[in-house]
Amino acid sequence: MARFRNKRGKAPAKSPGMKKPPGVNQVTGEKVPKSIVFGRGKLPGHLKQLEHDLRKLMLPHTALKLKEKKRNNLKDFLNIAGPMGVTHFLILSNPKSIPHLRVARTPQGPTLTFEVCEYALAADVARSQARPRCPQGLFQNSPLIVLSGFGNGAKHLKLTTIMFQNIFPAIDINTVKLSSCQRIVLLNYNSETKLIDFRHYSIRLQPVGVSRRIRKFVQNHQVPNLRNLKDVSDFVTKAGYGSESEADEEAATVNLVSDLSRVNRASTKSAVKLQEIGPRMTLRLVKVEEGLCSGSVIFSEYGKEAITEEAQEASDEETED
Amino acid sequence: MADAATADAAPPPSVMGSTGRKRKLKRGKPQKSNKKRKPISMASKKPKKPSQKMLKLFRKRARDYHSDEEEDLDETGDKKSLEESSGEEEEAQEDSDDAGHEDEFSGSDDEVDGAQQGITKFTEGCRAFRTAFRKIMKKHLSNDPLGPILSANKKLVAEKLAEEVEDQKVKGEAKKEKRLAGEKGHVMPANFLDAKEKFLISVATKGVVKLFNAVNKAQNPQKGLNPSRAKDAKELAKRRKQAFLSEIQKPSTQSYDNTSKLNSSKFCIPTNKEDNEESGWAPLRDTYMLTSSKLKDWDKMADPASIDEPESRHMDSSSDEE
Repeated sequence: MARFRNKRGKAPAKSPGMKKPPGVNQVTGEKVPKSIVFGRGKLPGHLKQLEHDLRKLMLPHTALKLKEKKRNNLKDFLNIAGPMGVTHFLILSNPKSIPHLRVARTPQGPTLTFEVCEYALAADVARSQARPRCPQGLFQNSPLIVLSGFGNGAKHLKLTTIMFQNIFPAIDINTVKLSSCQRIVLLNYNSETKLIDFRHYSIRLQPVGVSRRIRKFVQNHQVPNLRNLKDVSDFVTKAGYGSESEADEEAATVNLVSDLSRVNRASTKSAVKLQEIGPRMTLRLVKVEEGLCSGSVIFSEYGKEAITEEAQEASDEETED
Repeated sequence: MADAATADAAPPPSVMGSTGRKRKLKRGKPQKSNKKRKPISMASKKPKKPSQKMLKLFRKRARDYHSDEEEDLDETGDKKSLEESSGEEEEAQEDSDDAGHEDEFSGSDDEVDGAQQGITKFTEGCRAFRTAFRKIMKKHLSNDPLGPILSANKKLVAEKLAEEVEDQKVKGEAKKEKRLAGEKGHVMPANFLDAKEKFLISVATKGVVKLFNAVNKAQNPQKGLNPSRAKDAKELAKRRKQAFLSEIQKPSTQSYDNTSKLNSSKFCIPTNKEDNEESGWAPLRDTYMLTSSKLKDWDKMADPASIDEPESRHMDSSSDEE
């Protein structure tokens, strides 16, 4: 292991003046990205709630109970970011009553500015479900992230991909425990509408090939009602109704390496079931800035002049260099 | 009785209270200037005018009447504060007081004249006043929000209240608008899974399945080996090296293949460290953004060794189009 680490130190991508920052994983020696979520300006109640939901989403490497004051400015957050090892900022704001989400890398940037076209809080999502699910320890591990539809080669989309990939700690396939993968964050880019769907799901595994009755029996520890059965064997042999999702389950089955739980054994096949936990957002990338909420504009959805300006600036810089 | 009534001077204004008296005083002044005309009017009202003697007698009687009824009130008069208390006594006192005033002012017949009109109603007025006053005092105030106010004010206050209500309405509307503005973009999710949500879930599921399978593939051979034991760790390292070498011999990296094939789910699974180094696609390296502190030209930062990146050149040109 140590040898590889040395190799990595010599990697050409690494800048020479890089210091070892705080927030390093004790085991692997990798840097753990940390984030803080906060609001700028006065936020209405729903956005405050969204802020809290986002914090929960970013758990565990985030400040869940971050206290912000009106007089706190960006510099204050930046000042604490260094010593605390915070690598990402998620900033909610509400300019002109249009909610915006900025995702920024600290301390140098870049900053992605998203317009939140639509959003639903975690509470709303839970309310819409018959059985909202929140098992213990759901938020103890950071979520997986799936980015979909970003691969059409546009520059700003690539940057978005990188940004979101690095916002959560990377997974080492050789050492990861599947039981720690409980949540998933999905960002799906729709190239027609240019909207990004942001979803947050919980992952549940179910053994395949077992009737629902037996599964429930094993899971619930409850004595089943056998009143309608003539024989005990009927309980096992009689098939219940097949669920609608049974058909497309084929694609969503996995073999487990190790026992995940009492029900999901390594020997059995398991189906992956996702249930939304929220928050849900529909984002539109409106701006990409070079610095932390400042600097030249790399990409702008609305203004073409911003781009040309940026190009000019870039050329200026080149001449300086 | 009529005699006694005539004796007491000028009851009606006094009955009316202090305001009445003031009015009377005011009236007295212009009359002073009109003195020359008065004899004529006096002449016409001659029979009504009592002589000086009679006046004196009236005054005396009034005093007697007063002292009879109540000793503690002295006759010196001018107790405006007492006017309001109650009863005939004060009335009488006032009357005498008024009479005194009249004498001081002019002793004119006119005052007497005015007084005479009231004289007839004096007792009646007293009683009326008493009952009226008692009635007022007994009256229970209704729970009117306006409270006991003068009728002239009533309209004003009502107007004010109406205005307030209107103001509140406007304020409420403004508040509502503000709340609506705050809720902009907030939508309630549907109770069922529509096609779009189902699609998103399937995409996410695909990603999870891919990860789990990858984990399965990577961890299956190392089953039964404990990485904390030195011997096992060595064995693991050896296997990884082999896996790495075999990966290199393949024409292109798997991770990039996946993304280009599916054009959908990519998830950050930087496999192991060797994989990171050899993975051509720079962003797949977990240290890509973290190590590069200078991100000014992040798209050019990708090291030239990575040949598997046709996008980087393509993108430079695409920025002009945007």
